[in-house]
Amino acid sequence: MESLLQETLSLKTFAFFLLIGVTTLAIVLGFVTYAIYFERKVIGWMQFRIGPNRVGPLGLLQSVADVTKLLMKEDTIPNEADRTLFKLAPVIVYVPAFSVLATFPFTETLYLADLNIGLLYYIAISGISTLGIVVGGWASNNKYSLLGGMRSAAQMISYEVPLVTSVVGVILLTGSLNLHDIVTNQGDNIWEWNLFPQIIGFIVFTIAAISELNRTPFDLPEAESELVAGYHVEYSGFRFAFFMLAEYVYVFAIASLATILFLGGWYPPLAMLDFIPGIVWFLLKFTAIVFFLFWIRATLPRIRVDQLMGLGWRVLLPLALFNIFLTAIVEFVLR
Amino acid sequence: MWSAGFIVFFVLSLLTIAGALFMISLNRVVHMVLALSLSFISIAGLYILLDAEFLAFVQVLIYAGAISILMIFGIMMTKHSEEETEEPKKPWQNVLTAVGVIGFFGIIMYAIQSTTIVTEKKDFTQIDTVKEIGMAIFQKHVIPFELISLLLTVALIGAIILAKREEE
Repeated sequence: MESLLQETLSLKTFAFFLLIGVTTLAIVLGFVTYAIYFERKVIGWMQFRIGPNRVGPLGLLQSVADVTKLLMKEDTIPNEADRTLFKLAPVIVYVPAFSVLATFPFTETLYLADLNIGLLYYIAISGISTLGIVVGGWASNNKYSLLGGMRSAAQMISYEVPLVTSVVGVILLTGSLNLHDIVTNQGDNIWEWNLFPQIIGFIVFTIAAISELNRTPFDLPEAESELVAGYHVEYSGFRFAFFMLAEYVYVFAIASLATILFLGGWYPPLAMLDFIPGIVWFLLKFTAIVFFLFWIRATLPRIRVDQLMGLGWRVLLPLALFNIFLTAIVEFVLR
Repeated sequence: MWSAGFIVFFVLSLLTIAGALFMISLNRVVHMVLALSLSFISIAGLYILLDAEFLAFVQVLIYAGAISILMIFGIMMTKHSEEETEEPKKPWQNVLTAVGVIGFFGIIMYAIQSTTIVTEKKDFTQIDTVKEIGMAIFQKHVIPFELISLLLTVALIGAIILAKREEE
């Protein structure tokens, strides 16, 4: 990958880049399909149900069938909606969700772009998706979707602050915004990971990330029992599919980011286990975080909107700021 | 043959100008904000062409992300239907506007033409620009930086106090 990025752009390299992009898209789509299946199965087992088991062996084709159904559905646009923005909103939501994946290093050699400002790139680009959600909610011309959009904007702005401040500790420890450097600064053993020195940062990051993902217990923008479905009530068919897709791609992105920042990326938990290839370790940690997100969804009830704001501004932000001070002081003393 | 950089520059500058033009000419406020954010993102692209990645993504984070969302948040409560409130145009207004615009254009053109632009190209690809920016802000210019943060805090507290007073 490294040598490819240095070459001058010709038709051949362009075709190769396109191929890589399409492959990434295919992998992500595969992930989303089976993440949904996995989520339904896990939540089913946790609630003493069976989960999907009819379509295909063990119900493995359930998500495929669901997506096919969505694609064949009639594409409805409300009469009073703002047609251009209504069509544009899913695009504004999805494009940033996919483009943030470019900066993640999955192993030592497997990465798409080695950006000097990788972490900032993720934070900046993922912010644009909120714009799409708000615009979609507004363009539907529906009270519920407008409320969902408003809640989403308030929630995402409030939780982006603790999310960003919680990773500052990691940046202080590494001295770089480059995700590749952040991983190589951690080590082959579990105590060399950023997890333990940055335990406060990790907890704040996890809570803020769940909120950024709009998942239970922070799924107020799409709370089905109070807002019907939130910002995407009026969407159906493939436009709705794009909103769902973006959500699960962000699950992919946040799980990768947490693995890279706090769980040592592709490094094994013990140095003697390093005969197992790095990608396996990455996938294991990644799957553990995805499972954690589903587990949280199955066990916790939704919190109220004022509690949500209070948690973000009064608990998480001071904790994250305290973490920055603590890390800076410890780093200064040790140096 | 044009280089890839030139083509990208051309497309980005076209998008920047188009976004600005649409911002002025569109009728609905929400559309205007979206056009504006297109302009912001294209400017970030221009920064990347100049090897200023940090500036580019701060631009996306602050302008395209935070400021656009804040503006949309503010105007989301506006009416959906297009309202065209034609103000009664005063005579001479167009002429005066034209004179003002041409005068401004002349001044800007003169300023651009009379500055000597350094043409030697520095290679920033080998330097860690983020580190350089950090060094400059927190070591060389640390006192102005602290003053600005103080100013922002004062502005923030002032805004809260003003809003509180209105509430009562």
